[in-house]
Amino acid sequence: MENKVVNVSGLGLSEEELFARVDHNDLDSEKIAAPRYSYWHSVMRVFFKKKFNIVILILLAIIVAFAYIYPMFSGYDKFGKVLVEGAKHLSPKQAIEMHGFSIHWIFGAGGVGQSTFDAMWSGARISLSLAFICAAINMTIGVVVGAVWGFSKKVDIFMTEVYNIIGNVPYILLISVLVMILSASFWTMVFALTVTGWLSIAYFIRTQVVIIRDREYNLASKCLGTSTFRIAMKNILPFMVSVIVTVAATEIPSYISYEVFLSYIGLSMSDMSLGKLIYEAEGSMLTPGFQFEFWCPVVLASIITIVLYVVGQNLGDASDPKTHM
Amino acid sequence: MTKYLLKRLLHGLISVVIVVAIVMILVYSLMSREVIFARDGTFTKRSNNDREIYKYTQWEKFGYLDYVPYSEYMQQLAKDGEIDEETRAAAVSIAKEADNDPEIVKEYVEKFTEYYEGKGYTVVRLDPVMLTKTKLDVGGRQQLFAYKDYPLFRRLWTYFTGILKVDDVNYVEDDIEDRGLTFTLHDPIYGGDKFSPAIIGNGTKHKYLLYFDSNFPYLHQNLLTVNLGLSYSVNNGVDVFDTMTQSQGAYVTSTITYPTGLTEEAAYDLHTATYAPGSRDSSPMFSDRFTDDYTNVSLHRANMSKTGYSFVIGIISVVMAYLLSMPLGILMARNKDKLVDKIGTLYIVFILAVPSLAYIFLFKALGGLAGLPTTFMMEGETWLMYVLPIISLALPSIANLMKWLRRYMIDQMNSDYVKFARSGGLSEGEIFSKHILKNAAIPIVHGIPASVLGALVGAIITERVYLVPGAGNLLTTAINNYDNGVIVGLTLFYAMLSILSIILGDILMAMVDPRISFSTKAR
Repeated sequence: MENKVVNVSGLGLSEEELFARVDHNDLDSEKIAAPRYSYWHSVMRVFFKKKFNIVILILLAIIVAFAYIYPMFSGYDKFGKVLVEGAKHLSPKQAIEMHGFSIHWIFGAGGVGQSTFDAMWSGARISLSLAFICAAINMTIGVVVGAVWGFSKKVDIFMTEVYNIIGNVPYILLISVLVMILSASFWTMVFALTVTGWLSIAYFIRTQVVIIRDREYNLASKCLGTSTFRIAMKNILPFMVSVIVTVAATEIPSYISYEVFLSYIGLSMSDMSLGKLIYEAEGSMLTPGFQFEFWCPVVLASIITIVLYVVGQNLGDASDPKTHM
Repeated sequence: MTKYLLKRLLHGLISVVIVVAIVMILVYSLMSREVIFARDGTFTKRSNNDREIYKYTQWEKFGYLDYVPYSEYMQQLAKDGEIDEETRAAAVSIAKEADNDPEIVKEYVEKFTEYYEGKGYTVVRLDPVMLTKTKLDVGGRQQLFAYKDYPLFRRLWTYFTGILKVDDVNYVEDDIEDRGLTFTLHDPIYGGDKFSPAIIGNGTKHKYLLYFDSNFPYLHQNLLTVNLGLSYSVNNGVDVFDTMTQSQGAYVTSTITYPTGLTEEAAYDLHTATYAPGSRDSSPMFSDRFTDDYTNVSLHRANMSKTGYSFVIGIISVVMAYLLSMPLGILMARNKDKLVDKIGTLYIVFILAVPSLAYIFLFKALGGLAGLPTTFMMEGETWLMYVLPIISLALPSIANLMKWLRRYMIDQMNSDYVKFARSGGLSEGEIFSKHILKNAAIPIVHGIPASVLGALVGAIITERVYLVPGAGNLLTTAINNYDNGVIVGLTLFYAMLSILSIILGDILMAMVDPRISFSTKAR
């Protein structure tokens, strides 16, 4: 390194600023000089480092925004029927020829002559709402119950039994009985999907808590007199964040898939969700030339689930502190 | 180990009972009981009081309640010798209005009411439905009966005690000669010359209790029957277990020699004969062919049972899935972060994220383009029809297995024993196949019994999309038809399978990995 002589008097600083006496300080010497680490800041940094993640996040934002905003303007009515002759089962080309070019007709018309494009987005809005609400409820209950389940041995014995029993009650039966007793509305479906849905999440979280609970550092912490609550909040929760995000990433799209499955076997709700659209268009699938109507909602459901899944998984990866190096 | 497993099994059986209890509450108490008549032709034909009576008799049949008509009560009294036949005849017919009953009727109606109300029954007297002042409307006769809803425990008890029935020689209530079992080395159905051992019962429900025939598994028995629950609307009057295991499709005729010596071309399977009281006297069709009242025979059919189809398709796809996912998972783990791994991950994401319906239809469309048959038909069945359903079932489970195998192998790759093996000079191939795979496969092995037994259950969407006549759709069909018997029976079946598969999985895991032990000592 080249030695360069600088004349400090030329900097125009006072003597005090240039030279100050620093005494030895026990307290200061205990401090570890390391770059500032903020957990969420690092998560975001890792997540946005990949260009692919930015692209897919934008895609997700567009889909969600479109699903929630577009149906407000499209004027789609689930009971609506187009009574003009020859307006049913149109391919995009035929529909544009018939109705003139507009965004409504770029995917043709369905079995009752309604615009497939409008129906799809209206369905996407309902399916997404269902998925978000169910995931929020199930994740909240599941994580809280799972944490308690993992910590307390008494609760563990009881809950494992409950889990074994409820897990064997056919899910389809439970949902159909609930739909029959209540009504096939949106909120019934939310209730049916959440009434036992949190159990599997809680079980998963419980297993993770059990794994981390008995590690040496927690044992040490306990010996030093840390309260259980503090151990849970400070020692275990940070470990769990990436697990929770990963679970959420698989849960949200799984509700959309599950709703499609339930609709297909005849347990649909009254709202025109993506699942119900697919169910109603199934007849078109068997008619040559009409398959397009069936594939539109199927493809949209697939795109939504894939995008949600990939964003969630990558966010889960980014929230794992091991990737923050 | 055995003690531990027995304990687990017992524990599992208790959970099964609780599951069945929950399902019984769901279907018998929470759902409206009127819905079971939604698809019943007899119900629509009946009218007025007849319909009410029909409802109660059906509800009794399907386990909702105990139903006792007044006439039955009187008959019972006569049988017990409390009253003579004349009194019974005089007292049994009630008048149109309760006030107009003759003295003797009044007396016994009062007794009937007192007796059953004391036992917690509800006594109902339905007034006649009149068309005019004197003329009864169709089915409008006055009725008197008592009923009581079965409590849950009673229902559970009757259900579980009735699951396994052993045939005995006192089954037939009629007066018949020579009750007992005979063992023969020459089954009379084959003319009496061919060597074929059989046990033939007289007085039992089934005539042939043990016999050989040319169908798989060659040795058959009727001594022990499984009753999971009677069906109402899915397969009227037939037990769920039979619905799942009976052969389907077109009748197969062959030349049959009846016990009387008559020969004809028919599809009857004489080995299935069960007792039908008084049938020979009722019709010359039976008296010409049979020498006793064991006349109720089922028919030979050409195709497999529902469970048979589901199992064949399921088991092939399970075998395929394990055979393919193992090398693929290893390949992905060995080439971590390389192109192969990325393509595999893409496939896994696709299968995991996309609704199963979407890719099954995608496979169907692609298969159709490739010229494969996309629908299943029992007539003119070819092995090509099995291809698409098997692929549709195998591909998703391949993705799932690949995902876990890759995960477990990568976790193992960083362990110390791998570094040690490498420092010892083993080649990468040896390390992977002899060390990592063995350790990574342990959790995978745990799932094998579950997937094999799961093949018995069938697949809902796949079977629906390809119109496979399998067992997968039985539960949804039963729910849509409000068939309580089938729902409860299937729940029991599914719950038993799932309990069994977890226990078998544990045993298998302990066999593969000697470090795992279930005896309490090792803990």
